[in-house]
Amino acid sequence: MKKSTIYVIIAVVVVLIGVYGCNTYNGFVTQDENVSRAWSDVETQYQRRADLIPNLVNTVKGYAAHESETLKAVIEARSKATQVTVDPSNITPEKLAEFQEAQGAVSQALGRLLAVAESYPDLKANEQFLELQAQLEGTENRIAESRRIFNEAAQTYNVSVRRFPANIFANMFGFTTKGNFKAEEGAEKAPTVEF
Amino acid sequence: MNQRFDYNRPSTHHRAPSKRMLSWRILLVFALIQLLPARAATYTPDNLPIPYLQDRTQYVSNPDGILSKNTVDSLNLWLGQMEASHGVQTVLAVVDRIEGGEPYDFCMALGRKYKIGSKKQNSGLIILLSTGDRAYYILTGRGLEGALPDAICKRIENHQMLPYLREGDWDKAMLATVRAITKYVDGDDSLVGDSDFESDDDIAALIAVGGLFFAFFAIIIFAIWYDERKKSYCPNCHKYLMKKIGGKVTKDALLGMYTHHDTYRCSGCNFERVRTWEEFVSSGSSGGGRSSFGGSFGGGRSSFGGSFGGGSFGGGGAGGRF
Repeated sequence: MKKSTIYVIIAVVVVLIGVYGCNTYNGFVTQDENVSRAWSDVETQYQRRADLIPNLVNTVKGYAAHESETLKAVIEARSKATQVTVDPSNITPEKLAEFQEAQGAVSQALGRLLAVAESYPDLKANEQFLELQAQLEGTENRIAESRRIFNEAAQTYNVSVRRFPANIFANMFGFTTKGNFKAEEGAEKAPTVEF
Repeated sequence: MNQRFDYNRPSTHHRAPSKRMLSWRILLVFALIQLLPARAATYTPDNLPIPYLQDRTQYVSNPDGILSKNTVDSLNLWLGQMEASHGVQTVLAVVDRIEGGEPYDFCMALGRKYKIGSKKQNSGLIILLSTGDRAYYILTGRGLEGALPDAICKRIENHQMLPYLREGDWDKAMLATVRAITKYVDGDDSLVGDSDFESDDDIAALIAVGGLFFAFFAIIIFAIWYDERKKSYCPNCHKYLMKKIGGKVTKDALLGMYTHHDTYRCSGCNFERVRTWEEFVSSGSSGGGRSSFGGSFGGGRSSFGGSFGGGSFGGGGAGGRF
């Protein structure tokens, strides 16, 4: 075989690898963007819930002033949760777990508040409270939906980053796997009612 | 050759047709049973009938016949107006039972499956009432959350739907609910109907169809041109100089066939040849060439199936139980 032929073959192989690398890289970028977008939607929905809380607390306060402990717990959980933010470009499993824990505390405090509200007939008949409750339920649904979409996006991204041979390029360009939401602890358990 | 069935024909086959008729009747009965509204069925998002897909004027899915026909017609009319004026695409389902009994999950799965609402506006709307589960839900598409916030959905349900549901008046509950929804949607000018804008998809489809038509005609014109050029080819001097100078037509009455004998002469070498071609004339009496199209239900109303535009649902809306 002539030397020039070998050079041509090497050049072709190098070009092919280059084209494949560019394609893979662009695919990573697109999927990374999808994950970031899905994450920002998750944060928006959690923020939406946080914005509803002061209104809810004020409404409940007017009818159930004795429940100051429960109300305080909600406010505290909310302010703690708003301090935990996740950088969308660096969604690590640890960071995400921390975020999920803080928001889970809000969910639990809210759940207790709504359970308490059950024992105040006047509050339950209040139009504003009912509508706030509906908004809260809708927001919880939105949170669940945005989390589902985020998990899907993160999973698609993680699979493509870890697959061979794309993982070689992923390592080269610094694309690492992202965390995703785990099913809420105790979510599969039925809530216990205490009297 | 199609054989006509002759009732008067005194043939040995006399018994066979009657047997066949009987089996046909049995089949017909089974077909009718299939068509009858199956009572107390449990629906999943996958097996819920969506009449809109066959007929774009039908927004209501009423497989158990819970709503009266008049109500369904009124709802279809109002929902049709809402789609025309504001581009809000609705599926309203009233069923006996849903699988799992969770109206929110059912609506979300339905929205995910059909992608109700335009992609641009995301203005899909799903209204579900499951009388057996005693549950209801109004699910709004992402683009409808402004016109119909969760609190408003709840208010509509509490004031328009619930009082009638408690009385078991499903018709009035749905009529009042849709009436109230249309009022809120009418108040939102940011939602525009199909007539006001053409989505990029529509324009792309238009270009594609136009392109197809153009290609189609181009092929026909080329075929005609090619055919004419072939006729003008002279096999003697290999030049395209043959021209038609005359011809005659013979007729075969039995087959309804005309045979054309066209005489061509080459203007270069005076070579002559006769081309013959047949033309069939259908007199229409034989019935052999009749083509029939599939019939349609609905009293001959011509209507087209609708399609959902790719809208997405983020979980907005409200629901409850009664």
